[in-house]
Amino acid sequence: MPTVILMDVSLSMTRPVSVDGSEEFQRKNLAVHGLNMLFEHMASNYRLEFTALMAFSSLWELLVPFTRDYNALQEALSNLEDYDKTCLELALQGVSSVVQQEWGSAGPCQVVLVTDGSLGIGKGSLRHSLQTLKHRVEDKKFPLPFPFPTKMFIMCIANAEELQMTDALENLEELLRISGGDGQIFTVDGPLCMKSVQAMFGMLIDRAYSPFHAVLHCGNLSSNVQVFPRPEPVVVDDEVEPIPRAVSTDLEIVGFIEIADISSPPVISRHLVLPIPVNKEVDDVGAGATDELEEEPSASQMAGKSPNFCVLLHGSLKVEGMVALVQLGPEWFGMLYSQADSKKKSNLMMSLFEPGPNPLPWLGKITHLGPVSEAAENPYGEDDSKSPFPVQPQVKRSYAQNVTVWIKASGLQTDVQKILRNARKLPDKTQTFYKELNRLRKAALAFGFWELLKGVAELLERECTMLPDSAHPDAAFQLSHAAHQLKLASSGDSQYAAFDHNIVPMHTDFSS
Amino acid sequence: MKMFSVAHKTVFVVDHCPYMAESSRQQVECDVLTKSRAQVIPLAPVSKSLWTCAVECSMEYCRILFDVYPKDKLVNYIVSDSEFHILNTWRREDQSTHELMSALAAVGPPNPREDPECCSILHGLVAAVEALCKITELQHEKRTALMDTAERVANRGRIICLTNAKSNTNVRMLEDCIQETISEQNKLAAGSDRLMAIQQCELVLVHIYPQGEDTLVSDRPKKEISPLLTSEVHSVRAGRHLASKLNILVQQHFDLASTTITNIPMKEEQHANTSANYDVELLHHRDAHMEFFKSGDLHMAGTSTRENGVKETMTLKWCTPRTNSIELHYCTGAYRISPTDVNSRPSSCLTNFLLNGRSVLLEQPRKSGSKVISHMLSSHGGEIFLHVLNSNRSTLEDPPSISEGCGGRVTDYRITDFGEFMRDNRLTPVAESSHDPSGKLPVERAKAQLERYTRYWPMIISQTTIFNMQAVVPLANLIVKEVLTEEDVLTCQKTIYNLVDMERKNDPLPISTVGSRGKGPKRDEQYRIMWNELETLVKTHAGATDRHQRVLDCIVACRSKPPEEEERKKRGRKREEREDRTEKNGSKETEDKSWQESERLKGLLEKDEQESEVIKDSPDSPEPLNKKPRLIPEDIHPPERAKGPATLLSMWTNRITVANSRKHQEFFGRASSVNSKFELYQNLKEENGMDAHENGKASR
Repeated sequence: MPTVILMDVSLSMTRPVSVDGSEEFQRKNLAVHGLNMLFEHMASNYRLEFTALMAFSSLWELLVPFTRDYNALQEALSNLEDYDKTCLELALQGVSSVVQQEWGSAGPCQVVLVTDGSLGIGKGSLRHSLQTLKHRVEDKKFPLPFPFPTKMFIMCIANAEELQMTDALENLEELLRISGGDGQIFTVDGPLCMKSVQAMFGMLIDRAYSPFHAVLHCGNLSSNVQVFPRPEPVVVDDEVEPIPRAVSTDLEIVGFIEIADISSPPVISRHLVLPIPVNKEVDDVGAGATDELEEEPSASQMAGKSPNFCVLLHGSLKVEGMVALVQLGPEWFGMLYSQADSKKKSNLMMSLFEPGPNPLPWLGKITHLGPVSEAAENPYGEDDSKSPFPVQPQVKRSYAQNVTVWIKASGLQTDVQKILRNARKLPDKTQTFYKELNRLRKAALAFGFWELLKGVAELLERECTMLPDSAHPDAAFQLSHAAHQLKLASSGDSQYAAFDHNIVPMHTDFSS
Repeated sequence: MKMFSVAHKTVFVVDHCPYMAESSRQQVECDVLTKSRAQVIPLAPVSKSLWTCAVECSMEYCRILFDVYPKDKLVNYIVSDSEFHILNTWRREDQSTHELMSALAAVGPPNPREDPECCSILHGLVAAVEALCKITELQHEKRTALMDTAERVANRGRIICLTNAKSNTNVRMLEDCIQETISEQNKLAAGSDRLMAIQQCELVLVHIYPQGEDTLVSDRPKKEISPLLTSEVHSVRAGRHLASKLNILVQQHFDLASTTITNIPMKEEQHANTSANYDVELLHHRDAHMEFFKSGDLHMAGTSTRENGVKETMTLKWCTPRTNSIELHYCTGAYRISPTDVNSRPSSCLTNFLLNGRSVLLEQPRKSGSKVISHMLSSHGGEIFLHVLNSNRSTLEDPPSISEGCGGRVTDYRITDFGEFMRDNRLTPVAESSHDPSGKLPVERAKAQLERYTRYWPMIISQTTIFNMQAVVPLANLIVKEVLTEEDVLTCQKTIYNLVDMERKNDPLPISTVGSRGKGPKRDEQYRIMWNELETLVKTHAGATDRHQRVLDCIVACRSKPPEEEERKKRGRKREEREDRTEKNGSKETEDKSWQESERLKGLLEKDEQESEVIKDSPDSPEPLNKKPRLIPEDIHPPERAKGPATLLSMWTNRITVANSRKHQEFFGRASSVNSKFELYQNLKEENGMDAHENGKASR
């Protein structure tokens, strides 16, 4: 999930912070310090995240477009300049367009807003934006909520007491609420200093940028993995089950399915599954990261040489064209498969299905997938020529069962003409004639359309009189029989108008 | 849409009073005459009654609903005349148009001669409110499942009333009556298990009047009658106006949207070798258009607004399918479809094409004029789905290749063998009725099978001997089974005898020589390794049944006999292990042990390969690298110790320890320990003025 860092570079950010010691800081310095810490963390623990850096005051500017180059981001941070006043609304519009241009509107995005909590005055201030929220015209709508799912983290380079002196906190809370409510406002705990800002960013890292570690199991085979990006908890129905479901840190493979059988299933998110060395501990935030870098080469070389289950699994999934069904929690499943980026690079990928008992109708109830060995007969056939999938639903859909719809006159006309066409080819078409006749009869009875039955009966009688001399004598018998039966049905007499009753061809014998 | 929104329960109340037998005055010509028969007098056109119009439009509503939501969006159909007739129930098996059509046929058209005074739509409306109070299967299941939070299961519903309402006053009367019935029924429901109080009810009243007449009832948008009841009135002429009204309603009620597939090439009926392009309109959940809504692309050339101004359709262009390549598309949603005009020729051509197993990619025209594949139509098991394909840049692009990560440099993975393993562990739907005596769900049984199959499964070729041997295959395939037949045991035994035979003939074994100097281990050593590995494999299963045990016994009996004393000791150990196994049968620990053992064997093998020249049992050979006090606590490998001079392992472990110790500085305590013991917190005692040395002694 990409991240946009939205950095306040208004003049108020240059306010000095009184520190007991000798050196004097600006709030901006503290913010930069915090962000540097975040970038360092990401570079070593979350390096696949795309991050963009935007600065804003009364205008906004995209300083670094989405990148995984954390040096570039840090460099840009060190060259920040100071501008005029804070105007958040415009900046948020900027975020919206930058994100959509890059990623479209389907994928979720994280926005980290770094500000001192003085949110401008008068027109363009957040207070003003929020006050006028309801009086906007169509093309000047407030940019929140963004069209894409958003996690909004607001980092205030100010402590809560300071913010409470104005309505800043309330306004930010309102902002968070409008953005969709997913996110958090962080304030500095205690006096402003490097340490307290560091602690605040540490909390952000814990909340949103700590790598998700799990163990992938396949029976007794297993591998420690990092799942990237972090799988987010999911709420299926906030009324029946308001508690979000989180992906378990034990990912258990249940079995395997052919790609053709799983056939492009809908997924809620996709993640890379990256094997990690067994003894590499989850990094502590910040300081620990740098020490680790020195030892990394030898450690990773070692890890590269010892066999890992992920690599084996990936190789076989790729060769066989299969996916592994993996259980993520109670009644929650996903699939593991090989995803090729280019011809050379490919990876083990995990897609999450919608939680619930029936995420893919064509697999049937997902907890009722069992081992092939339990079946009396191999459902794949001895030579892999068959497949138990897709599972057929009990009832056919309307388009698969020749339904009768007469809403448009043409539908009715086609059905009547079909009968007449077959009537002229009696007795050869006896079967089709009666099949079509019975279909029409059933629908007419259900719709209470007895007038039609009478009408068609008349048509058949007319056809009967118009039979050419060369016609088979049976034709006349069948036509008048059919006409008579339709008339009986149109009387509503329960003996003849039963829905499940079918008109059967008259039994005639011309052989003798 | 929430699980228990108003859309969960829909009651149709259709007026069956005598006036519904009136003609809609919309005539249908069903006799189409060809020129050749111009002399024939055509049949007078037929016209549908108000009743027929109401029934067929409501059936169309249900058809679309059941196509898109085959489950848990339920319809209860009620007909009202001098009394009410409930045509079906909330039960899932009653939810099909066929059921309803059959029941409607039994009701028949209204009887125009019935006394209009006795007849009223009210009977049906009261019954509808009662029906809404009845609990559905899903509500029951969820209430049972949620137990103490059962109140989260809501009871909401919608009443669609198709009637001829006479006047606005009459409409108000109907609303009041429903409101009253709801409060009465809610009181009743409070004291019942099978009933639920209504929390929200939406009344959609559709007033139907014949063509050419003026309506006496005016349209009214949704308004709140009470906190429990909202009501809206639609006044519609019978015939096609009613049909399009209900089509709009079904879309609104169930969050549907419309897509028109354009440019479908279709063979002409008359000229089979030419094809023309057709359009087909489909309905589906509106989330399939989510991306357009958000990006604002909906209001552009690709969309059109219908005459009524309510309905929009999104146009997607047919892309002639490529060969049936099997591909895993990144698909963010799949939604069932229903064609708006189900039995038109273009619709049925498209649906039949898809039902035959072909998929069609669809192209979305964009603002910029660029085109992008955004959707796919595909059928699964006789149901057609509109898949939404991701057309945005991926945030996962350019990931590190798997070959760059852990285990990426290893080249001899048993890829083919694992492929075989995956085929053996494919899944299949298991009937819900087939109940397993263990009470485990099929997925749990699948996991149990994986556990059995992987108790001993070396990942790389150079780590195993037996899995590189064709001769072992029959046994390896059978031993993982949960239950062995007598025949299976025989096959396993045959396999073992075969191996014995091979050993006797001194056949070469496919032992990996990777990384070893020289020719590798000697032939008899190779066999010893092979037997050890086989024993490890079978041992992990021996506890399962007696028959599994018999296979192990066979191996133990058959494998080449080491010197007698060895043998005796081994037997002793085996007995211990067997007891061990029965204790923690199936527990993780046993498995881990067997793993360790296999790793150890591997270790032995490697050690053996590398050091074989050095240790020729010669007294002159250099001493093992490390004869200092052993650094490893004694109790980790007691069996090896017990074996006496069989020191391959101890030499190996020592070597590893030495190698490891070079990589880090030894703990001070461990380095200066005596018999692996070291006094902690000596400094404290020094500070206390006590002699550390003495203290150390005292502690022993």
